[in-house]
Amino acid sequence: MPVVTPRFVDHAWRRGCDFVTLDLEDSVPRHLKAHARSLIKDAIPNVSKGGTEAFTRINHDFVRADLEAVVWPGLAKVVYPKTEHAEEVRLLDAIITRLERERGIHPGTVEIGPNIETAVGVTNVFEIAVASPRVREFGSTTGGYDLSRDLGVEMFVDFDQFVYVKGEAELAARTLGLRVRGAPFVANTSGSVSDPDRAFRQAEAARRCGFRVSGGGLNPATVESQNVGYMPSDEDVRDAHWVLEQYQRLEGTGETWLEVESRLIDRYEAARARDTLEWAELCAERNLEKAQAVARVKAAMAAQTPAQK
Amino acid sequence: MRRSWLLVPASKAEQVAAAPRAGADVIVLDLVELVAEEDKFETRERLQGAVAAVSAGGVEVFVQIDPELCYADLHACVWPGLAGVVVSRAESPQQIVEIDEQLGRLEHERGILPGALKIVAALETARGNHAAYDVARASPRVCGLTLGRADLVMDLRPEPSGEIHLMPYLMQRLIIIARAAGVTPVGAWWRAPDRGLLATPEHSYQAGQRGRAIGFKGAMCLRANQVEPLNRAYS
Repeated sequence: MPVVTPRFVDHAWRRGCDFVTLDLEDSVPRHLKAHARSLIKDAIPNVSKGGTEAFTRINHDFVRADLEAVVWPGLAKVVYPKTEHAEEVRLLDAIITRLERERGIHPGTVEIGPNIETAVGVTNVFEIAVASPRVREFGSTTGGYDLSRDLGVEMFVDFDQFVYVKGEAELAARTLGLRVRGAPFVANTSGSVSDPDRAFRQAEAARRCGFRVSGGGLNPATVESQNVGYMPSDEDVRDAHWVLEQYQRLEGTGETWLEVESRLIDRYEAARARDTLEWAELCAERNLEKAQAVARVKAAMAAQTPAQK
Repeated sequence: MRRSWLLVPASKAEQVAAAPRAGADVIVLDLVELVAEEDKFETRERLQGAVAAVSAGGVEVFVQIDPELCYADLHACVWPGLAGVVVSRAESPQQIVEIDEQLGRLEHERGILPGALKIVAALETARGNHAAYDVARASPRVCGLTLGRADLVMDLRPEPSGEIHLMPYLMQRLIIIARAAGVTPVGAWWRAPDRGLLATPEHSYQAGQRGRAIGFKGAMCLRANQVEPLNRAYS
């Protein structure tokens, strides 16, 4: 969200997001950049008080001024757009490292999220991902406007036009053992960014592919869809229990697989089932954590302003 | 000619005995994926006889080995009649060099022509795929690359389109690298819900046809009824 729009920033804490990205880049016009920078320090605790993580997207060309303005306690990640070279990531790392020390932030707290949005970035994707230990999550996105523009690729088509780009980024992330962001193909021929049903289908497809981390959304209407889509359904949880029950039948038989109701049960299916159960529990914990944080803020606000009849 | 490579659990005597009649161009006696951990020791003891029997049946015999147990696996399988090994979860050129050296020593000790034994690297992990070009060129014995069970090892699941996540990229990447290194790309273009053991003959044929169309030369399979469709698709 544009950090210069107070009604977005002030309501962010009650949206139920896992993270909010305070933007200094494309959503902020050039004449407001300096003003925007001055708002970040206060916006961080403001948006994160409901249990949400605060990220900032800085400008590709104003690294020093932007970082001075954003690296404050509470910031979880700096998103860097249009990353093209490993040196850019190393420069970010050096400046963030200094600012953390100057401002009493535990060393290594602030992550770097390098966005790959140009052909040059795609070419150097592995070197970018390995350039700093602050890059902890990496991979593909659903394909952004910038990438489409740079590559001359159409955005809204009914087939996966980014197979190579997404594959390169994801292979780098997997090779380096980073948290992998994946974007299974779900056709978007309408171009909508605010359609909750589409956001749900995208999130559900990603979760069914085993992914845990969302690339985020541009409209608050998609938050709940993403949260629900990334969480295993009750049916998934029941199915995972069933798979594990079947898998136990293999023990001591000398067989490595069996077929039940035209499904295959083996150690890989069992691992996926365990993974689903573990993820369902983590989601429930995170939901509780956020609900408690929101309740605390509401209680504090109620105490400040006595109820009016 | 290696249109179809049928993986057979080396621990199952009846399946090994039936293997030469399956119609496959290559039989891969598996020591890794299809053999229960507790049966592996005994299976290695019996492998010399299995290699001899299957090759006497007139098919090429490879053995799939586990790089973590490569000393034990190679000692068990390198006997006259063996054509080569499939290295599961191949990850680095160093690993291939070590296997190359052990093969050379065993060839010498056991009266096999020097350099006769081939290596197929199964790139089933991200690291293996990342290093694919170096792996393919690590030894003159490397004659092929395949993705093996990368979809399972890397936990790649179906997308809504039916494609298995990341596989279209990994397949094309592997084919280009194999051709650049002068080795054979082995595989088929499987789509959900066909998966290895459950793929019907019809779906195996379609996977083989799509595989051939993008440049694979012959594919691996897990069941005898998948052999004929693959032979047809790759003919």
